[in-house]
Amino acid sequence: MVDVAIKNAAHGRDEAENRLRVLERFRRGDKFFFHLTRSAAFLVLVLLFAIVASLTYGAWPALSHFGFDFLISQSWNANTEQFGALATIYGTLVTSLIAMLIAVPVGIGIAIFLTELCPAVLRRPIGIAVELLAGIPSIIYGIWGFFVFAPVLQQTLQPFLISLFAPVPVLNALFAGPPYGLGILTAGLILAIMVLPFIASVSRDVFETVPAVMKEAAYGLGCTTWEVVRNVVIPHTRAGLVGGVMLALGRALGETMAVTFVIGNARQISASILQPGTTISATIALEYAEASEGLYRSSLVALGLILFVISFIVLAVARLMLARLNKQEA
Amino acid sequence: MSTGTNRQPASPAIPAGPLTEKVSVRNLKFYYGNNLALKSIDLPLYDRIVTAFIGPSGCGKSTLLRVLNRMYDLYPGQHAEGEVLIDGRNVLGPDQDVNALRAKVGMVFQKPTPFPMSIYDNIAFGVRLYEKLGKSEMDERVESSLRRAALWNEVKDKLNASGQSLSGGQQQRLCIARTVAVKPEVILFDEPCSALDPISTSKVEELIDELRADYTIAIVTHNMQQAARVSQFTAFMYLGELVEFAETAKIFTAPSDKRTQDYITGRFG
Amino acid sequence: MSLYAARKRSNRIAMGLCTVAAVFGIVWLVLILAVLVWEGVSGLSWRVFTEITPSMGSTTGGLLNAIVGSLMMVFFAVLIGTPLGLLAGTYMAEYGRYEKLTHVVRFINDILLSAPSIVIGLFIYEILVAPFGGFSGWAGSAALAVIVIPVVVRTTEDMLLLVPGQLREAAAALGLPRSVIIKQVAYKAALAGIVTGILLAVARISGETAPLLFTALSNNFFSTSMTQPIASLPVVIYNFTKTPDENMQQLAWTGALLITFAVLVMSIIARALSTRMKK
Repeated sequence: MVDVAIKNAAHGRDEAENRLRVLERFRRGDKFFFHLTRSAAFLVLVLLFAIVASLTYGAWPALSHFGFDFLISQSWNANTEQFGALATIYGTLVTSLIAMLIAVPVGIGIAIFLTELCPAVLRRPIGIAVELLAGIPSIIYGIWGFFVFAPVLQQTLQPFLISLFAPVPVLNALFAGPPYGLGILTAGLILAIMVLPFIASVSRDVFETVPAVMKEAAYGLGCTTWEVVRNVVIPHTRAGLVGGVMLALGRALGETMAVTFVIGNARQISASILQPGTTISATIALEYAEASEGLYRSSLVALGLILFVISFIVLAVARLMLARLNKQEA
Repeated sequence: MSTGTNRQPASPAIPAGPLTEKVSVRNLKFYYGNNLALKSIDLPLYDRIVTAFIGPSGCGKSTLLRVLNRMYDLYPGQHAEGEVLIDGRNVLGPDQDVNALRAKVGMVFQKPTPFPMSIYDNIAFGVRLYEKLGKSEMDERVESSLRRAALWNEVKDKLNASGQSLSGGQQQRLCIARTVAVKPEVILFDEPCSALDPISTSKVEELIDELRADYTIAIVTHNMQQAARVSQFTAFMYLGELVEFAETAKIFTAPSDKRTQDYITGRFG
Repeated sequence: MSLYAARKRSNRIAMGLCTVAAVFGIVWLVLILAVLVWEGVSGLSWRVFTEITPSMGSTTGGLLNAIVGSLMMVFFAVLIGTPLGLLAGTYMAEYGRYEKLTHVVRFINDILLSAPSIVIGLFIYEILVAPFGGFSGWAGSAALAVIVIPVVVRTTEDMLLLVPGQLREAAAALGLPRSVIIKQVAYKAALAGIVTGILLAVARISGETAPLLFTALSNNFFSTSMTQPIASLPVVIYNFTKTPDENMQQLAWTGALLITFAVLVMSIIARALSTRMKK
């Protein structure tokens, strides 16, 4: 009897000690994992700062040498080492502008079609197809544009535009020939096709946040579909729509592969959008690997920095807009 | 009013002899941010006794339960003042290891919450972390826990099936088995039957009745018959206050506070 | 009555335009895919998978070195990027859900998610290629990993937020420490979603060209050395498209088809998984 009691007591002590050891291990494990995950979260911030810092460092020789002129000069000459970003910035902004002018109305139209008009049977398959298309690598759009789209444009749309606007002042400069096929307009159109599925699927997601009761209430007043869309759906989702469009703009601005093949790569600013031009990303892609050390390479990095700053601002605005929509929903 | 209260089922007898206080709540205040949710609660939970907490929604009964195992620690902005003594030791102190506390104070939730793993692992999971058991010892522990929860016969042939494949009532008993397996001393039930059908409910109630022999039990319930059936003591809470705490039989037949009487006779709540 | 008719007419016009937009958009996209399949399939043969990239003027050759290079770089990028993204997303959803740090990280992460990929190439060039002596597979993988991280962070956070809090409470009620709850309960419950995120990241980087141009460069020969320049499908497609050589152009189309097919398959699997997760 006594023996058993002693054994039990010893067993109990063992168990208590074991438990203390386990709890200590838990505390250490928790602390370690907490700090591990927190460091990883910090790493995301560090990544952004590292990108900005390394680009600034690389761009510094060019920025300090050319100063503000870098932003407003058009010249880009590797032999005389005269570099300016204006033509590339111009090309970047204009191609993205063309892309947005086309893709935004069409993309939102697709979204309206999908949420309001599409027969229920087709809604899911088309929706899924659009989403999948948004994930296709941009180089595919690039080679399609180069081999198929540009030659067709050269034969059809471009001559048509040139002759159509020839008698119209201002517009005849904007659409002055000859039709090269490659150029600012072609790049803008390819970008439009590329961001189209993205805009369509984001807009559709945004439209689907409108509570059904709200739409039903409007229909109940006798509104037509278009009136419901215009007076209920779009006002209710304006922040989200703008956010989605800005995201798409961010993509278009920074896109390299869809543009490089079809922009024609001429470092010039021409009045006509049918003429070749270039963008920041296309210039970097084409020249960086071969560029000589020094001012040339530094100027290319400076272009990258400018691109990053522009897209950072655009994307930041986009995220703030989308965050506003989410808050509204909550 | 007496006709209404007389129909209450008889609650389990209170064992003879002095009761030991397993848990003592002393001057407990609880805040959600700046919102005072519990206003100075004083209350004992007796060893091997079932204490029921009743009161209208939002009266703080679930909050009180979540203080007892410091579940609120998971969320920022929630904090407790005062003391909760378990075996004479204040568990709200900063030196209290919350994992140790929660291993000692088990909890069963309103909705069954099986983990995304097999029935066997649902039970072995918690045990494994605290104790080093051999295969056969673990098998035994799993079996005895499942037997304890009156689930063994229903699942013994499919221990490798997912815990989420069971019916709602079975899932809840699995959760009870899981809680019992880590050998707690106190078990908190937070409306354990509100998501169950009547048959499953009566099974869980029977279970609580059996568990009473070994554990200190607190149960929050919306169902007054249930409180009357399973508990020996009842606490009535209202708007974050403990209005009345007494033997269950007394609460249901001769409540001393007007609000208690109004509540149990269905005038509000 | 005429007002009503006008309203009806404007409705018909607007809805008609939307339908036209849908048809217009879908036609373009179908056209691109159709050309891609048409051009790509005609060049599809065993030599694509068994022979290395040809030189100018040759009529043979395939994409073997590019396929292997792509697989290797994608593999290492995921290997590097996934754990980091997973841990960061875990902090945001589990430990730091209500912290300011999480809001800041989420904002920055969302920007990295759509940052121009060519800039990421420049970044890796500055920190890896220039100081450590040249183009390499590792540099390419690092650039791709920088793209993987924000994708995984985002999906991990989203999916962990979908895990019901009750499940965590139930595990905590057994006395389990936070790290065990996360690793063995929350991750398990969110597994399908997290895998979706990784698949989406793989789909995203398989077609990335710009960040590889001056990190991994390319290689005309078969090489599995990650310390040397290495070929990849997108860069080979890019280089071959620019040549006047028909054999090379054909291989570019075929490579483009392969990438698109792989990306679509991964996106479809990811979609199926995430639908299951949301149930």
